Amino acid sequence: MAMIEVSNLTKKYRDRTAIDGLSFSIPDGEIVGFLGPNGAGKSTTMKIVTGFMPATVGSAKVAGFDVFEEPLQAKRRIGYLPETPPLYPELTVRGYLRFVADLKSVDRKKVASEIERVAAATGITGELERLCGVLSKGYRQRVGIAQALLGDPPLLILDEPTEGLDPRQRHEVLDLIKSFAGKHTVVLSTHILSEVKAVCRRVLIIHRGKIVADGAMSEVAGTSENGLDEKFISLTAD
Amino acid sequence: MRTVLAIARKELIVYLTTPWAWVVFTFMAFLSSFFFVGSIGQFMQMHEYAAQVGWERLGPEAAQYRNLTDGVALNVLGSDLVVVLFVAPFLSMRLFAEERRQKTFELLMTTPVRASEIVLGKYLGGVGIMTCTLVVTFFYPLLLTRLGSSESGSALEWSTIGLSYVALLLWGSTVMALGLFISSLTESQMVAAMVSFVIALVWMMLKFVASNADEPFRTVLNYISFDTQFQNLLRGVLDLKPFAFFLSFIATCLLLTHRSVEAQRWT
Repeated sequence: MAMIEVSNLTKKYRDRTAIDGLSFSIPDGEIVGFLGPNGAGKSTTMKIVTGFMPATVGSAKVAGFDVFEEPLQAKRRIGYLPETPPLYPELTVRGYLRFVADLKSVDRKKVASEIERVAAATGITGELERLCGVLSKGYRQRVGIAQALLGDPPLLILDEPTEGLDPRQRHEVLDLIKSFAGKHTVVLSTHILSEVKAVCRRVLIIHRGKIVADGAMSEVAGTSENGLDEKFISLTAD
Repeated sequence: MRTVLAIARKELIVYLTTPWAWVVFTFMAFLSSFFFVGSIGQFMQMHEYAAQVGWERLGPEAAQYRNLTDGVALNVLGSDLVVVLFVAPFLSMRLFAEERRQKTFELLMTTPVRASEIVLGKYLGGVGIMTCTLVVTFFYPLLLTRLGSSESGSALEWSTIGLSYVALLLWGSTVMALGLFISSLTESQMVAAMVSFVIALVWMMLKFVASNADEPFRTVLNYISFDTQFQNLLRGVLDLKPFAFFLSFIATCLLLTHRSVEAQRWT
């Protein structure tokens, strides 16, 4: 079954068209790289799929639930890391994760163990008692990912999860995402192509609100070393 | 319900771990003590004067100074109604504006939470912190009971004081609901606070506007004016009309906030 089913999705902001008739489908358990130059409509697409805002035309379904018709059902199945990790600087990491667990209605008895689990997975166990406001960029990003993992949603949508991380943290986050293979469906948005090559088996490239490539990594990138880079540059040239 | 309480608790934690609430508590305590000392001074002056000439010759206006409830406590609580007008917009201005600035609004809107639960949770948090602010002023009635005395038993008439606190909380909750709605409309906390303050201020002064207005506006303005609605409660008379009036105003504000939160997805 398709985890995400998007058909003819269009979003217009007044007279500007951010995305234009997008259609794609992502099967269960796949890790997909969602690529495009800045301003191509990546974040807009994710905001629609996560139910943050509605599309002008078209529909998006998550695990069979239309995000507009049955938003609560769809949202229950999504873990979402927005571009900026949505942290409250006044809360401790533990307090913050407990708050998100409450919002996601995680079983009360499991909240404490669930917090430990996501903290261990993202390597923030030692930071649980610190205030979100004093965390470094790398830790903020990880708390953002931990928050998305709470409640073990089948679908993870990560908007530039490695943005602002140093090479080592970047590597750790990518390893973490790789470990989700088979357990979660992951949509990874980024414009760093080497990351996509490292973790994704499938790529979707959008440019000016339209899909310009959609297929297995080997098909899109070919076999050469810089295949994906070359393809990306040629597809997104004006 | 769980999500509502989680949001309300989060709001309370944020208020209490940042200077917001503490600045407000200090402000409330400072102004209340200022009014308290003033009222006590006036009360003592009246008593000294009355001891010389006798209460009978002082006229009916002086009657309120014959006991501590009317002469001091209600004066202080009446002034606190005005302090609430300053304090509530300051507390409510961040409720939605801050979420948008911190980009945490996206979290609330993408977790399985209804817009109505977000609005209710935030409002409960706001009313909670308002209640804490009013608790700060309990000090003065308690001080009067401890140190004051009266010929007819207890120094203060607690049922009257209680009703005044109910009126204070009702007014605080009303301005809070108004502030919540205004906060959902703008990203700027400054604008949110100013607009809610001005609306509440005009409301408080409607009586003066009404006295210069022509009929039928005069009757309408008089009816919705702050003083008309509160006069009974502040005199210690339990009156259900202001409850119906302010609670329906609060409900309207919450409904409008809900619409405004929903509408934001469309922009």
